[in-house]
Amino acid sequence: MKRKGIGYASIFYGTGYGNGFPDESRATAELTKEGQIIISVGVSEVGQGGLSVMEQIAVETLKIKKDLIKLQYNNTSKMRDSGTAAASRQTYNTGNAVLDACRKLKDNMNKVKTNKNLENLYVQMKDCNIDTKTEGYFKATTSEVDLETGQGAPYWPYTFGVQKATVEVDDETGKVDIIEVTSAFDAGKIVNPITAQGQIIGGSTMGIGYAIMEEVNLNQGDIQNKNFSDYIIPTSKDIPKYHTYFIEDVEETGPYGAKGLGEPAMLPMAPAIINAIYDAIGVRIYEYPATCDRILLAIKNKNK
Amino acid sequence: MHVKAVGEGFIRPDIYEKVQGKAKYPDDIEMEGMLYAGVKRSTIPYGRVLKTNIDEIRQMEGVICVIDYTMIPGAKCHGVILKDIPILVQDIVKRVGDCILLIVAKDKVSLKKALDQVEVEYDVYQGVFTIEDALKEGAPILGDKSNILYDIKVKTGDIEAGFKEADYIAENCYHTQMTDHAFLQTETAVAHYDDEGVLTVHVATQYPHYDREEVARCLNIQEDEVKIINETIGGAFGGREDINPQCHAALATFITKKPVKVVYSREESTISRSKRHPMEMFYKTGVKKDGKLCALKVRIYGDTGAYASWGMNVLRKAAIHATGPYVIPNVDIEAKAVYTNNPYCGAMRGFGAAQVPLAYESQMDILAEKLTMHPLKFRYMNAFDVGSQTATGQKLKSSIGIKKCIEKIADVNQMEL
Amino acid sequence: MIINGKSYTKKIDPLLRLIDFIRDEAKLKGTKEGCGEGECGACTVIIDGRAVNSCLVLAASVNGKEITTIEGVSQGKLHPIQEAFIEVGAVQCGYCTPGMILSTKALLDKNIDATEEEIKESISGNLCRCTGYQIMIEGIKKAQDKLKKR
Repeated sequence: MKRKGIGYASIFYGTGYGNGFPDESRATAELTKEGQIIISVGVSEVGQGGLSVMEQIAVETLKIKKDLIKLQYNNTSKMRDSGTAAASRQTYNTGNAVLDACRKLKDNMNKVKTNKNLENLYVQMKDCNIDTKTEGYFKATTSEVDLETGQGAPYWPYTFGVQKATVEVDDETGKVDIIEVTSAFDAGKIVNPITAQGQIIGGSTMGIGYAIMEEVNLNQGDIQNKNFSDYIIPTSKDIPKYHTYFIEDVEETGPYGAKGLGEPAMLPMAPAIINAIYDAIGVRIYEYPATCDRILLAIKNKNK
Repeated sequence: MHVKAVGEGFIRPDIYEKVQGKAKYPDDIEMEGMLYAGVKRSTIPYGRVLKTNIDEIRQMEGVICVIDYTMIPGAKCHGVILKDIPILVQDIVKRVGDCILLIVAKDKVSLKKALDQVEVEYDVYQGVFTIEDALKEGAPILGDKSNILYDIKVKTGDIEAGFKEADYIAENCYHTQMTDHAFLQTETAVAHYDDEGVLTVHVATQYPHYDREEVARCLNIQEDEVKIINETIGGAFGGREDINPQCHAALATFITKKPVKVVYSREESTISRSKRHPMEMFYKTGVKKDGKLCALKVRIYGDTGAYASWGMNVLRKAAIHATGPYVIPNVDIEAKAVYTNNPYCGAMRGFGAAQVPLAYESQMDILAEKLTMHPLKFRYMNAFDVGSQTATGQKLKSSIGIKKCIEKIADVNQMEL
Repeated sequence: MIINGKSYTKKIDPLLRLIDFIRDEAKLKGTKEGCGEGECGACTVIIDGRAVNSCLVLAASVNGKEITTIEGVSQGKLHPIQEAFIEVGAVQCGYCTPGMILSTKALLDKNIDATEEEIKESISGNLCRCTGYQIMIEGIKKAQDKLKKR
């Protein structure tokens, strides 16, 4: 029989390398004589939408139309080091470096009074010996924790998320269906609601895989399931109806108040599912993934 | 001029090429006279390479050259923190998938034939595959001096007094599994010399400047003699932080002076890269009748596999996040990263903070039931706020939206907190 | 064979896979390989109206047939499915996108009124690790509206 259950989970996530490790991002903003703005920044677009975030921060800061701004982001000989696209740090860290470069360029541009276009502005800035290329830099503030006591300020800022999962568990087959998921996240100001929602839904779906499907099986250190035929990840048929809300508790040190989102997006889903399974069938699973076999075994043990 | 951008649903700039199939991933690159390279990987988890039939492979048709560790001009190992992962092994193999020989061939077919013909003779050692075995006395030592790569403690308050105050205690053991990033685009790199003689590597990576550093170290050349072009990236999730084909492609080009492509099959992709740490987590949580958490004792063991990668950072992150987003005055947490002969574990979305929620959020529900309190309400009354102190003694200054998130979930469910 | 309306005549190895013919002989790089065993759908193309994994098909076996790859979907201008994917933001890393669009096209060419369940079923052979599918499904529904208005 299919039984319905509801589960909740809350998480926090310290973004950035943390622990006092030099967490730096660099960027440059340049007005060219062709009247274009080139933002040179080492943001790796892994799919998360990092390019759009940098572009939007540049547009907002420079007050210049998007099509006049060009990102140079993929060549180590032409761009500054902005660190890894990891630790959910690009929006906060690299976004701050882009903001810094753009603010400085905007200040320089404002030193010349002109109503004319960017090409003219470039000529006038050059005539007045004003820099048309500016450097942006940001370093996150954290401290190293003591190995014996763990005391310190290891990360900043923190992102938060809460999810409610509704599941159906078939107590005869052990199969879990995720029906509906409601998410509320605080990642500060959301730079792009479309890509941010994409992170929550994509991350949650990865969380479903983590909770009930995925496991690398080893035999003496040798991976037994090397392809998608036996390393099972969620398909379009495994997803619930998602509802996503953002609580924009702005972070004063973030670019326009933004914090990171990529990783926290996947964290509450799996424990919310485990808690929902308990709510549905009264059986607690202490181990991922909550496969059919594990659930049936747990039911059997409970009924003993 | 009024321009609004932050907070707007801008169309992402990369999407136009992606929907048309025009986005260029590394495997879409072809070059005149391009060679293909691939590595023979170890099939045993622990042992010593005694010999290979390298001379025989060198004579095969279509094989341009076969490279072993002696031909690496610079550093023989790479690694994000410790430089311990062999680019090509000298003698000791520590996991299934360690790279032994790099073969460069004129085309894909010759390369495959050559890789299939490689024979490696090993002195097979007894490996360790569980945390328990790795911590036993007499276990083979895989790390520097022991099998413990990293050991961190987080302690605050008085743990014994904290549990004395508790009206309810939950004590349980939790386990999370090893998982894979499973992004769709397998690792691929194309290396060549550009018009200015700069060794150029086209790859999909999370950190191009780091790749440049490792390639330069491996070839013993200056960083400005290397250029990384970060092509379109087909998913990453932490799986493109450690070096994979970058140094091999660069080394093959450095030696042959020709463009070289390295493409992984799905199977090689799965074997080669880091994994998410499996963790054993022992949790004891105490709460008072009024619903306030008062004590937490945690022991975490992470199977870090054969190499360090980000193991210390992952276990540190697990320890620091082990409380969940809750104020707990008395805390005693220890976390260890333990070497085994399993695939090495490193970065994957969530990075240590993905494993502990199974434990801390299960404990919260177990205790809420004991308290006969709604689980959301129980979380709300213990959640961080501005001014709260974490278990590491960090005072939370701003943007602590956890309570607002709980309020939102309660609100859309028409629930009173 | 005919790919995107263009005829290709070539002597080939009888064991050559269709994906290799498309990528290496026809030089159409929009078709992606993700797994090489028909599990991920990144290499999906349309053969005579059906969405097929081109890594599981021998090139020689489709002699004379009509094949559509992602390059053949937009002819001069973007196809409504592509427009809809852009508008809703249905793409992240983009590696599954060509295959996803072709599976969608094969479905909507036959059944413009496909229900959400039918949509989920028809793209269930196309794995996506990034998006979690929901926004893609919204994009497909939007594409249905666009196609109906044409």
